[in-house]
Amino acid sequence: MTVEVNSANDFSDLVRIDEGLIHSSVYTSEAIFELELARIFHRWWVYVGHESEVAQPGDYCLKWIGRQSVIMTRSEDGTIHLLMNRCRHRGATVCQADKGSSHFFKCQYHGWTYSNDGELIGLPHAAAFGASFDKGSYGLTRVPRVGEYRGFLFASLSPTGVSLDEHLGHSTRFIDDFLAASPEGRIRLSAGIQRTQFKGNWKLVGQDAYHPAVTHRSVQEISQRRAGTRPGSTTASSDLHKDLNKIYAQGSPSLSWDLGGGHGRLDNYPSKLPRTPALLEKIRSTEHGRIYLELLAEVHGEEHVGEVLNRSDPHMSIWPNLMITSSQVRNTRPLAAGLTAVDMWPAFLDGVPAEVNSERLRGHEAFFGAASLGSPDDYEVFERIHVGLQATVDPWVLMSRGLETEQRHPDGTIVGAITDEVSQRAQLRQWLKVMSLNVEAAL
Amino acid sequence: MTTALQHDVAGFVYHEARLMDESRYSEWLDLWAPDALYWVPCDGDDGDPRNQISLIYDDRARIEDRVFRLNSSSAHSQDPPSRMCRIVGNVRVLSDEASRDGSGDEITVESSFVLVEVRRGHKNMYAGRTTHRLRPDGAGLRIVSKKVVLVDNDQYLGNLTFLL
Repeated sequence: MTVEVNSANDFSDLVRIDEGLIHSSVYTSEAIFELELARIFHRWWVYVGHESEVAQPGDYCLKWIGRQSVIMTRSEDGTIHLLMNRCRHRGATVCQADKGSSHFFKCQYHGWTYSNDGELIGLPHAAAFGASFDKGSYGLTRVPRVGEYRGFLFASLSPTGVSLDEHLGHSTRFIDDFLAASPEGRIRLSAGIQRTQFKGNWKLVGQDAYHPAVTHRSVQEISQRRAGTRPGSTTASSDLHKDLNKIYAQGSPSLSWDLGGGHGRLDNYPSKLPRTPALLEKIRSTEHGRIYLELLAEVHGEEHVGEVLNRSDPHMSIWPNLMITSSQVRNTRPLAAGLTAVDMWPAFLDGVPAEVNSERLRGHEAFFGAASLGSPDDYEVFERIHVGLQATVDPWVLMSRGLETEQRHPDGTIVGAITDEVSQRAQLRQWLKVMSLNVEAAL
Repeated sequence: MTTALQHDVAGFVYHEARLMDESRYSEWLDLWAPDALYWVPCDGDDGDPRNQISLIYDDRARIEDRVFRLNSSSAHSQDPPSRMCRIVGNVRVLSDEASRDGSGDEITVESSFVLVEVRRGHKNMYAGRTTHRLRPDGAGLRIVSKKVVLVDNDQYLGNLTFLL
């Protein structure tokens, strides 16, 4: 099949969801990638950042919306702003550091200077711009739409379209679950970022419970070895040593979800539930663990603490570029059809003993990051996929697991067995919808 | 600090580099002390690892996990394995007082490296500064701790599953 996509508005020949067939070009075509930037990342709601990254007035950090540089700032009155990092005069970036604290941003071309709420506060020799030049209308351009859900900031470069509430849909209650692990209901992304990249398409990052037993076999082997040679090892991390075999495996009671809107989820709660007593006993074995459980009990009631903890890993993708999984907030950044950057933040819980958060770090490091024992194997597979998908003979990807058995609910959600490809189809279903909307059309 | 000790220490660091270059994982593991700490900071050079994410923060058990994995046939990100050559230089043994700080005979040694890694048709270059803390142990030295500060630890990193 020849793919002509330059002005395409209908991709249904390439994404045949109801047959579980996806054309390779969806992952490999640079022309489709350019359309993805225009129609998804430069138009739809995307995740931008978390309020804790600009915790204090004056704090700022640089973000990307697709290919566009954006400054996230907190001004003196506490308000968070998303400002295009582009001088209103001749277009140079006005903020250079990834993060910092500053009252103003100055363009080093001609000296136009902006306050951290975006106002143009000074420029040399303004009179020559003419009598009608209005400094007040030359502040840094604001991102047209900004929305927030409990500290998570989303933005759209389109002034019109569905509301953020509509976009997030069913996903927000699982953000609630993630935050409930903090007695204060808040996280902070204060522990640094693991920045990683792989040579493959951004849509490969997703929810897949069919792969752990093969891709992460080494992690399972480490678990088995530890169980055999060093029972009771205190350095075991929950992330590294959770039993992937039981939670994400054929026959497990866990479920995979299409939440609508492109959002997908691996619901591991049914597998974790029977182990609640063991989980609580493990946490109770340290002083800081006991304090943590008491703090949670004060908020949620002692009888609910196990459930709160077991539900606190939503394992969810919020389309198109946010994942909340284990103790991590992850942002996917598309750089090219075959190049993807992934930012991973370990999320600290507010209002818990410091040791609880340190343990989250150690768990995160074991599985995630460029030198870890887990995620590099995912990226290795993604890179192999990107090579394999260059084949033009029979260019179809099969994504039909569970298609015949998935259940559709009246609220629009779809659920299947944990190793089914329900949540991947969710992402592509939304991709098809948003990519097929004419750029110029009212959303 | 005697010249002989300087020579021993530099020789040890070069030997370790050779084992890492050649992916001789088990021999590399044998260099570590039982109370080892292997630390590669992330997103900054000198954060407190209790509050700051690391690329690697391995105690002895985790170093063993790492080596066990690399020795297995399941470490896909090292299939095929990286081919490497690194130059270690600027080796400096800290003065006796700074080095020993009450920990018996332990020695602190700083060095820099440039590493070229080739895998799957791509050539990658890494560089960083390493601080070893070494303990004389019978006939040789053992690594008590090793901190590797990559110059690009706050940048987008690919596959670092080889030994640093």
